[in-house]
Amino acid sequence: MASVALRNVVKRFGKTEVVQNLDLNLNDGEITVLVGPSGCGKTTTLRMIAGLEAVTDGTITIGDIDVTTREPKDRDVAMVFQNYALYPHLSVLENITFPLLARGGQKPQAQRQAKEVAEILGITGLLGRKPGALSGGQQQRVAIGRAIVRNPRVFLFDEPLSNLDAKLRVDMRTEILRLQRQFGTTALYVTHDQEEAMTLSDTMVVMREGKIVQQGKPSELYSRPVDTFVAGFIGSPQMNLLHGTVVDGLFTSEAGFTTPLKNAPTGSLTLGIRPEDVVVGAEGSHQQAKIEIVELLGPRAILSLELPSGRMTAVVDAVDMLGLTEGQVVPVSVRKENLHLFSAESGQRIPTE
Amino acid sequence: MKAPTRGDADGSGLVSHGPWAILGKLLIAAGFVVVAMPLLWVLLGSFKTGAQLNDPTVLTFTPTLENWNTVVSSGILTAAGRSVIVGVITVTLSVLVGSMGAYSISRYKTGGSATRFGILAAQVLPPAVLVFPFLALAYDFQLNDTLAAVIAAHLSFVLPVVCWFLIGFFDAVPIALEEQAMIDGLGRFAAFRKVVIPQVAPGVGAAAIFGFVLSWNDLFYALILAPGNSATLPVRIAGFNTFRGVELGAMCAAILVSVVPVLTATFFVQRRLVRGISGGAVKF
Repeated sequence: MASVALRNVVKRFGKTEVVQNLDLNLNDGEITVLVGPSGCGKTTTLRMIAGLEAVTDGTITIGDIDVTTREPKDRDVAMVFQNYALYPHLSVLENITFPLLARGGQKPQAQRQAKEVAEILGITGLLGRKPGALSGGQQQRVAIGRAIVRNPRVFLFDEPLSNLDAKLRVDMRTEILRLQRQFGTTALYVTHDQEEAMTLSDTMVVMREGKIVQQGKPSELYSRPVDTFVAGFIGSPQMNLLHGTVVDGLFTSEAGFTTPLKNAPTGSLTLGIRPEDVVVGAEGSHQQAKIEIVELLGPRAILSLELPSGRMTAVVDAVDMLGLTEGQVVPVSVRKENLHLFSAESGQRIPTE
Repeated sequence: MKAPTRGDADGSGLVSHGPWAILGKLLIAAGFVVVAMPLLWVLLGSFKTGAQLNDPTVLTFTPTLENWNTVVSSGILTAAGRSVIVGVITVTLSVLVGSMGAYSISRYKTGGSATRFGILAAQVLPPAVLVFPFLALAYDFQLNDTLAAVIAAHLSFVLPVVCWFLIGFFDAVPIALEEQAMIDGLGRFAAFRKVVIPQVAPGVGAAAIFGFVLSWNDLFYALILAPGNSATLPVRIAGFNTFRGVELGAMCAAILVSVVPVLTATFFVQRRLVRGISGGAVKF
């Protein structure tokens, strides 16, 4: 167990700078999730920590050891790849003992450890099989088993759940979280799925075009996104972003949606409204919206609203859905305490306090 | 990552009916006759006397072992032994060097896309172009009429073929597998040896047999570089074409000694051979 620190890390492929001056700390014993659209440099960052990709500039330390130029095998990290990368010619037991034996472990001891790990993961019955004879979920468990058997200082996960079907993905997500808590190993988890990132992370790091846009607790990122990119990226369904102007404390969007905004600077800005902060059926609102589509999720429902001033998404509790049907016209307002303001030019958050 | 299901490979889909199927079968039968008849003639010929061989009207005959006695006493088995030595050493060196070369070409694009096929460039040259330098060198090193000279010459065409053959197999091994091995505690070369090589083992086996057959069948280089005491099997077989005429019966028997091992080996690796030539489409 150890913390990991990246200082001014740069990665260039030819002339393109994939990672730019990255400063990142992975706190000891925590899961840090790197999230961002594809091509944002998150996987490259993970691979640099693993030692699979050379660092163009900057330093990486694990614990108090500078590993910047060390071989992957000398970094004491374990990694779970997206396609699991199980050794096809070895049985499950041999796959799990592999990292132990590769480091000069004794076979009986290694097999004992592998069996303990298999017990934890519930794959004891599969130890004699080859990876080709396993389902995706089982392969995933073996890959995780191979990562935890050695008790490394850092776990690295490269989109490990993206090849699984939706239900299994949620199960394995919980499983990974449970194991990480149990072992207390520092972990870096890379994903493009913001929901996965929200649920797994102690610290969430949003990257874009090789730079960190925002990092912090997932709840922080959700409630106080630093710019329109993070605001739009985190949260599902997406935050409603309306461009407009504020005159005398009244916001009017380009398409004509209005809401009073106290404390807002006069001038043009972008207003962010989380779908759950849109109140549908509010008494006394003069804004009318037509319910275009209802997507019921069980306890909640997503409503696509059509206003004369454009579209909006709202999330309402299923209880409040009673009596609402597609095609109906309802009054709509927003909860004023949770609005997000962003600069119209830079997209940066405008503090409202 | 799924293992190939054998069923769809050799295809129930190929079963068809109607006139095309009959035509297809006739073609296969014709092909079989073209390939098998000469072999059958050679097999029967090895048990005939000289007179019977030169009379095509003979349909029935009493088999004789005379040819086989001649052939065995002429030291053909020693020559076959030498061919085995040449083949095994050539193939061992080719597989050792060729697999590493193929890995390098596959992973690091060594030499750019030109090497992928350029490696076979020497095959385009007629052997006659290369044999003189080989002979001159053999004299210089005083290796003429030794197996070493033949092995060196055979390496010039077996090694590139083995290497080329293996590139496709290496292409099919996911890079993540090696990366995983390196994170799991192996160095680059150990990862290559312990993780990558087992994935391409079927290809290496097929390449080895393919290379062995190339070496085993070579007459030209062996005849010129080692015509005397170190003659290999094909050279000895050609030797039955003497100044007194062709000893057809003995030659038939000698040809069988040469052909049967190759046929047997090819039979066992045919499926992988096709796979290797078609670009190493190995599934995991």
